[in-house]
Amino acid sequence: MKHILLTAAAIAAIVTTAAAQAPNAASLIHERQTHYKQMGAALKGINDQLHGDSPSIDVIRQHSRTISGFAVQLLRWFPRGTGPESGVRTRALPAIWTDNATFQRDGAALLVAARALDAAARRGDLAAVRAAMPQVGHACGNCHDSFRAPEH
Amino acid sequence: MSRETVVVWDLPTRLFHWAIVLLVPALWWTHQIDRLDLHILLGEIMLGLVLFRLIWGVIGGSTARFTSFLRGPGTVLRYLRGRGTAIFGHNPAGGWSVIVMLLLLAVQVGLGLFVSDEDGLNTGPLSHLVSYESARTLADRHETVFYILLGFIAFHVGAILYYQLVRRDRLVGPMLSGRRAAPESGEAMIAAPLWRFVLAAALAAILTWIVSNYL
Repeated sequence: MKHILLTAAAIAAIVTTAAAQAPNAASLIHERQTHYKQMGAALKGINDQLHGDSPSIDVIRQHSRTISGFAVQLLRWFPRGTGPESGVRTRALPAIWTDNATFQRDGAALLVAARALDAAARRGDLAAVRAAMPQVGHACGNCHDSFRAPEH
Repeated sequence: MSRETVVVWDLPTRLFHWAIVLLVPALWWTHQIDRLDLHILLGEIMLGLVLFRLIWGVIGGSTARFTSFLRGPGTVLRYLRGRGTAIFGHNPAGGWSVIVMLLLLAVQVGLGLFVSDEDGLNTGPLSHLVSYESARTLADRHETVFYILLGFIAFHVGAILYYQLVRRDRLVGPMLSGRRAAPESGEAMIAAPLWRFVLAAALAAILTWIVSNYL
């Protein structure tokens, strides 16, 4: 009886460890979608500030930190098996994995743009923030054009 | 033989109408090809046009005025049963169709003001007043209302075809030329003087400018 319990506990431990190490595609996809929405919200947050007469550099800085924080991780959100072949609803295109070199390059370009934006925000340089935003937008759009399916 | 014709729709009303005919597909297309910068610009022009038409409905030529073509349900029913009298401008049913179309356009352009794309990059001119989440919800509504608008446009075109083919009443020609066969009643459009057009256009332009840039 004791053996059975121990074996069961061991199996349970292995299974949970494995699950923790390799979270399933659905949760990875869901997580990265949430992150992208947070990035979208942060970009809108900066644009909202820039729209007004008296932009708050503190608010902009919060958002730019969010964006550059995500930009660092972004390329790791796409392990193999998290494309449409997973059966989960995702707009990630197979080209991410078939043309991974370009994908990596586009991701790196975003990181450069996001860091420039964050640096400008940390300096409190609104003119540089304004100049950096289209670069970030361009980097987002560039990658989406090749690697994200249209909304419908 | 050519019967005598009279003006039934003034030039501003016709220009408004055909501008909408061009703008709706252009707005659809710019969204389709993901040129949201152009989509927003055209949307602002649409806002100006809708505002103009609302003002023109109060101070414009007689057949463009809301008071000239809005009739109670009794009159509409009598008309639909074919027991109405001859109509010079919008008929009692068509008058309400104008209102529904204008209302749909106004709601659609009004929603668009607050919308943000999912990347937070392209935002309507008033989107900064709402959160990202709200702006995304409104984007869904913006899409739903587009399909309702599309349905109503189909109904509108269907009604024109019905008048053309069944009732032998050509409606497209007069909306282009502004003229129709002179009615036996001797009714005519009372044109609005030029200064009223200038006033309506200026008012619409200023309001649009403020909404697009200063709110």
